[in-house]
Amino acid sequence: MNELFENIPVNISELPDVSKSEYHGIEKAYLTVARISNSILFSVLIIGAFCIIFFNDDINNIPLNYAISIGPLMLFWILSLLFVSKAFPKKKYSLREKDIIYTKGLLWNTRTSIPFNRIQHAEVKQGPIDRMFKLHSLKVFTAGGDSSDLVIPGLSEEKANKIKEFIMGKTALDDSGS
Amino acid sequence: MIQVLEKFAEPTRQSRVAIGIILIKFFKTTIKAFWPILLSLFLGRKSGNSFVDYVGYAALGFAALNVIGSVLTFFRYYFHLEEGSIVIDKGVLKRTKTNIPFERIQTINLQQNILHQIFGVVSLEIDTAGAKKSELTIDALRREDAEAIRTFILEEKDQLAGNSLEEVVEESLEEKEAKTILSLSLSDLFKIGVSQNHLRSMAILFAFVFSSLNEVTDDIEGLISNQFSEYQETIINNSWIVFLSSVIVVGIISFIYSIINTILKNFELRLTEERKGLKLFKGLLNREEISINKSKVQNIGWSDNPLRRAFKMYTLKIEQASSAQADQLKSKIKIPGAYFAQVKKVLNIVFPDTPWKEQPKNKVSILLKYRLIIFVGILPALIIGTISYFFNGWLSLWFLTWIPLAWYYYSLYYNKRSFEMSSEMIKNNKGTFGNNFEIAQLYKVQTIELKQSWYQTRKNLSTVTLYSAAGSMTIPFIEIEKANAMENYILYKVESDERSWM
Repeated sequence: MNELFENIPVNISELPDVSKSEYHGIEKAYLTVARISNSILFSVLIIGAFCIIFFNDDINNIPLNYAISIGPLMLFWILSLLFVSKAFPKKKYSLREKDIIYTKGLLWNTRTSIPFNRIQHAEVKQGPIDRMFKLHSLKVFTAGGDSSDLVIPGLSEEKANKIKEFIMGKTALDDSGS
Repeated sequence: MIQVLEKFAEPTRQSRVAIGIILIKFFKTTIKAFWPILLSLFLGRKSGNSFVDYVGYAALGFAALNVIGSVLTFFRYYFHLEEGSIVIDKGVLKRTKTNIPFERIQTINLQQNILHQIFGVVSLEIDTAGAKKSELTIDALRREDAEAIRTFILEEKDQLAGNSLEEVVEESLEEKEAKTILSLSLSDLFKIGVSQNHLRSMAILFAFVFSSLNEVTDDIEGLISNQFSEYQETIINNSWIVFLSSVIVVGIISFIYSIINTILKNFELRLTEERKGLKLFKGLLNREEISINKSKVQNIGWSDNPLRRAFKMYTLKIEQASSAQADQLKSKIKIPGAYFAQVKKVLNIVFPDTPWKEQPKNKVSILLKYRLIIFVGILPALIIGTISYFFNGWLSLWFLTWIPLAWYYYSLYYNKRSFEMSSEMIKNNKGTFGNNFEIAQLYKVQTIELKQSWYQTRKNLSTVTLYSAAGSMTIPFIEIEKANAMENYILYKVESDERSWM
């Protein structure tokens, strides 16, 4: 692989390969969380559409109008539920000695890697639906804008805290070393 | 140095001139907030009703309020230096006492607007890391005091960071002879102004005129047709002439605007080398003094356009790490005219241990060009053309001319799109009509992102984005093996490097 960048002194093929590191899936229960939050969004949209037709005097209160507005929404709902299920197995993370890697995305597959010595701080968060399933998400902050921050959802409390400790411990170590 | 601490140990007010400066600041903000109302009232006076009197009183009241407010603000603003921190105690209604430890201070910049220049004072801006609202300003200080405070704080900060005193003294002796890297004369500024992107200043002017009109009246069309009602007939008869001449007028105005704006903003611009990095002086009405810390620079970019290439000049951009989102604009320093030798000098000063040499160019995949031509050129032209066919008939064939234009544009774009990588740095080359280069040090990268769309997965391509503390750099459509190799190498580089990165 070194011939790709002939001007680099180290042999790149001997470096640990990110794509071959050990990846862990997130908790299964997160799929349910994702489905529920997805369903809430679409329920709100459908109720909204229903209300508009029902309360607006200019639109006739006939089944056809309901079908036209709510039908496509239902279709999108089903599609996005399918999409969520398909995309779920793509959400994987990997912890290596000096960095954290997270992959996600079905249509746009992204892999984000952040070295521990560039992490500013990390926090464990929990949304209202997460709470019902005892799930937590880990948020990793780097310096600069929000664009380069990383969120790993669907972790058990124990795991989330463990990862956070691991990351922060490393960060502190590196800081005192330099 | 100790005198500085003693001099400012007691809570001190700003220079007396500050009252005036604060007053102007107050007026500016109120006028900025209320000018549409004021203007519409002023315009409405033509109709001549008694309402005008109220307006007069209101204006007087406003003025009085501003005067009282600024005087109170002045008398309730104290600052002093303590062991290891600067304390600012201020506020009339809501009192706040802020204590900023020196080690949290990132940079201290001096600024002089025209009032400051008349009274010979400067305003001191302190940038801190971390907090969202990360800026503190002392509005008016005598120049010597401001400079003394700045050097005192920066040197204290250095000592806190662990540098030995000797080192500091030795280096500050060196500092005396600040070397000028580049300075812009009036004729340079004129060249820069001429080669500015005039289309952009035209757009800015249009946006400004329309947004101001919008605030004054909702009915722009009505206003214009009212104003021109007498000329309407002539306009309709000579619409082409009117159109052409207005384009020429707007063109000339934006040309002049470009030049004046360039000269005002960059008057007597001077970039000098300092112990810890660079220092930039610039501006006529608003004179600024910005320090650039070497180790905090994340990215250096330089670009030209066809006009500027005629003068062999580049726009130089230096991007520093910034913690708060609000500071992002401030931490990007732009120097509108620099010759290539000067760009190189800046590169060597900012990245001293890793000098940049030209590297073999890595092209991105040709599929990028085809994709762009299809999605920006062919598809939109066909879709809009088809829709338009139902309304305009065969006239809509004109939309097809969009396709060769897009082809031409993206061929230019693709030919210039490449990247170069050395063991320490990465350089991104872009541009269509002009050129745009940026260089970053690999070890300052803090996040690497590999992205693959469905199409890219099929073609074994990937888009790599490197995030640093100042922004991001994207390299689209490279082979997945290359992207992986880059990712592995850059991670190795970041993780094995001990240098400070921001």
